[in-house]
Amino acid sequence: MGIVVENVTKLHQGYKKLDNVNLEVNDGDFSVLLAPTGSGKTTLLRLLSGIEKPTSGRIIFDGVDVTRLSVQKRNIAMVYQQFVNYPSFTIYENIASPLRVAKEKLGEKEIDRRVRSNAELLGISHILDHLPQEISGGQQQRTALARALAKGTKYVFLDEPLANLDYKLREELRSELKLIFREKGGAIVYATPEPIDALGMASHVGFMHKGRILQYGPVKQVYHNPRYVEVGEYFSYPTMNILEGEKVEEDGRLYIKVTDQFKIDVSPLHQSLMKDRYYLGIHAHAVSTNRESDKMVQIDGSIQLSEAVGSDTELHVDHEGLKVIALMQEMISYGIGEKISLYLDPERFYLFDVDTHELCAKTVKE
Amino acid sequence: MKYDNKAWLFLLPALGVMALSAFIPLMTVVNYSLHYIFSGAIPEFVGFANFIEVIRDAKFQGALGRQLLFSIAILAVQMPLGIAIALSMPKKGVGVAISLVLLGIPLLIPYNVVGIVWRLFSQSDIGLIPEVLSWIGYEYNVSLDPIDAPVTIFLLDVWHWTPLVALLAYAGYLAIPDAFYRAAEIDGASRWKTFRYVTLPKLRPVLVLGFLLRFMDSFKIYAEPLLLTGGGPGDTTTFMSLFVARKAQSYELGYAGAASIIYLFIVIVMSYLFFQLLTKLGQGESQKA
Amino acid sequence: MASIELRDVWHSYDLEEGKKNNWQYAVENINITYENGAAVALLGPSGCGKTTLLKIISGLTKPTKGQVLFDGEDVSHLSAKDRHIAQVFQFPVVYDSMNVYGNIAFPLANDGVDSSTIRKRVYEVAEILEITDLLKEPAGRLNPADKQKVSLGRGIVRPNTAAVLLDEPLTVIDPKAQWGLRRKLKQVQKELNFTMIYVTHDQHEALTFAEKVTVMQVGKIDQTGTPEELHENPASMFIGYFIGSPGMNMMDCTVAPDGTVAYNGTSFQISKKLASGLLEHGNELTLGIRPEYVELITRQEKNAMSGTVKLVEDTGAYKIVTVTMGSLDLKARAPETMKVEEGQAVWMGFPEKDLKFFKDGKKVL
Repeated sequence: MGIVVENVTKLHQGYKKLDNVNLEVNDGDFSVLLAPTGSGKTTLLRLLSGIEKPTSGRIIFDGVDVTRLSVQKRNIAMVYQQFVNYPSFTIYENIASPLRVAKEKLGEKEIDRRVRSNAELLGISHILDHLPQEISGGQQQRTALARALAKGTKYVFLDEPLANLDYKLREELRSELKLIFREKGGAIVYATPEPIDALGMASHVGFMHKGRILQYGPVKQVYHNPRYVEVGEYFSYPTMNILEGEKVEEDGRLYIKVTDQFKIDVSPLHQSLMKDRYYLGIHAHAVSTNRESDKMVQIDGSIQLSEAVGSDTELHVDHEGLKVIALMQEMISYGIGEKISLYLDPERFYLFDVDTHELCAKTVKE
Repeated sequence: MKYDNKAWLFLLPALGVMALSAFIPLMTVVNYSLHYIFSGAIPEFVGFANFIEVIRDAKFQGALGRQLLFSIAILAVQMPLGIAIALSMPKKGVGVAISLVLLGIPLLIPYNVVGIVWRLFSQSDIGLIPEVLSWIGYEYNVSLDPIDAPVTIFLLDVWHWTPLVALLAYAGYLAIPDAFYRAAEIDGASRWKTFRYVTLPKLRPVLVLGFLLRFMDSFKIYAEPLLLTGGGPGDTTTFMSLFVARKAQSYELGYAGAASIIYLFIVIVMSYLFFQLLTKLGQGESQKA
Repeated sequence: MASIELRDVWHSYDLEEGKKNNWQYAVENINITYENGAAVALLGPSGCGKTTLLKIISGLTKPTKGQVLFDGEDVSHLSAKDRHIAQVFQFPVVYDSMNVYGNIAFPLANDGVDSSTIRKRVYEVAEILEITDLLKEPAGRLNPADKQKVSLGRGIVRPNTAAVLLDEPLTVIDPKAQWGLRRKLKQVQKELNFTMIYVTHDQHEALTFAEKVTVMQVGKIDQTGTPEELHENPASMFIGYFIGSPGMNMMDCTVAPDGTVAYNGTSFQISKKLASGLLEHGNELTLGIRPEYVELITRQEKNAMSGTVKLVEDTGAYKIVTVTMGSLDLKARAPETMKVEEGQAVWMGFPEKDLKFFKDGKKVL
């Protein structure tokens, strides 16, 4: 059983917010809808929850067509970016609120049990008698999460719930959410523009682009087999470098050449490469500042910026006018303009068709 | 789909009231304007003849001219005065409440009460105004002097409505983040420059609103002149609304209808022109690079 | 450009407002010196006092106690304008009714500088900021990132600017545009050698921009140092936790003279030399070790603590493994290629050189 989205299109003032979307989320899945802002992920969540109705297509929960069903009748829980809590209710009452208006009359004891157990799960047992304005943003969002969980619905939808939180809180809640939702049954659909949310928490990921789902599948599968260049570039931490090169033959070997230095041997793939130009994709973490083996290709450039990201350093390097990003797993700072050599492992590349943007081949071995 | 239907149901009562109070009367007026109507006689369709008569009528032109002069004077005084008041009001503390109440009082008093109160103030025998002015040797007579009458109406309106501009400007002023003033201070801007480059541009949306409201309102002033001077002496305080209403009251319904429609048309066109002008004005300013 | 010093600065808003009882200090005992031309950051969570310090440096607030010195001179009584401080705010502040040229020229125009000098200087600044082609545009129409550049331009256009203060300048900037602006800020600072003080709660911004970072917590300075120093040698548990992702692991333990470090029944060994040094501060300490230094091993080894894998978060670049030892969870980094599964038994090695010890929140040794 699970959620099925069938040929769903949503028009808004003549413009397709969602374009013939199909999706299947099975019980037990933690599905992340990954996309930059404006790609339609919020719209899709609103359709799933019933706040909006599709222009065409169906939405099915556990084999039942719920397309025309109101939000209340669908029995789902939703958590938003803006922590929405009733300002005049205590945290306890906030968590209890959906239980008090539930169709089946839950006894006071049951309500209390659910409130306390979910508060415990989210680490807010100690503030149950406070009001929302007295607690921090992170705690407010935890309250919203506890409320969604206390409802005990099978499906929980989350729309960028961590977006308005501090860096550290996001990091903590990401780990917590993964653990919490693992315990729960049903399915989760979580929208976010951050690849690291999908990479860290999800079982399945769907990459959205201009109202369509470009690819959906188990996280590992999508990560290692991005169907389109857009998927590969976005669904990566911190990003996948995409550079255009032309197919050349030198000394009997086949290369994709971006610049004189930046030449990748793709001879084993020659049967799959019919065109003249390809996009080369390599994860930033596969670009090294050390020559780790003789096979590695050296490219020289100058540092545009070295960014401290958590405990890592993102190095933005200019190589002959092209930008190459390397992720270094340590904290180190470089000056702007410093010269540096980067090393690329030819066996870590993805090749995409320049016209269709589709993945045609890869030198990466699983 | 269910929700959409319910929404229309909620709107029906309001639509019904609007139909009764606005739409149907408007259609009636249009109907009158195209006919010659006199007493009990059967109305005769005359096409645009009424409109031509109205436009050619010297009395209509006079009323329109008076009205325009009045509105322009109102705007020229109330806008800067309102802004000045707003900027001098306290932003914090107990003074805020006091100022707001003082500003609010003139606005809360109904039109007709304002008219009557000022009539008492201005009346030759018992009024405060003529009494005070006589101390400086000025002989004030609102019912006979062709200058005193419109000036009194003018001052009445300034007293009555400048607070609206002040309140709008005040609200807009409070909304200007402090950072802009700090930046201007750091940039060494003088008080005038700060006003010109920070306050005024940021107040523009609110001031456009104030301007349009005051223009439209002043253009239809009715109760105050009616109660204060009855439109006199002569027709020195007969502004457009009063002029058209009198025509209607004397059963020249065709004329009145046409005049109303011309009146409405003028208001719409002028409001539109002002709006375009004011919004463009802010965007167009720039120093030569 | 000037060196900036805060000497024995204490400030209480309560006292400023005349409160007689229960007053508190917003910032306490602040002593910092920023060299001329330094790229500095004030980092800390909301409420830590960084905005208060910013106001004190800029002259907006006069400190209850202490002095503010520019190039050794006491400027405590001078206003912001007279201190020649420029400020870039959280949301872009531009004069909407002027174009970009007019905006950048404004401070010089107010100073009475002649127009040909102004022209030269504005073009210089525009070129550094890469906005020369925007000079004729009305400032109100620009996107937030460009508006911030214009704000910065106004800040650096005067040659006698002592310092530029930036108050969370990237807050309203679109994530895509943030990178460009971050780079521009750093580049401008380096090229013009201005003293620039960047106030933020975001460690990413602080550590990317600054060479020297002051970390604050509840009104006090925890530590001032380079990003690497803060990362490797945090002076407090708070910094260990706040800097780095994930933060430093903290474990309350007991140290014995023979080098045994014990936690909840399990233990591992450190050198007697290290142990004796630690014991001078007591035997109940908190051990800190960064996840990237925890050695994750799948076979039992002598000097390793055992635990069970609770959670694996795979970023594609590496895995963050949460290992539970009963009531305590520790995080470790594992290479992408390592096979780790939830529920698996693992062992963690703690290399001595990467261990930090704390007592009462502060670093010892």
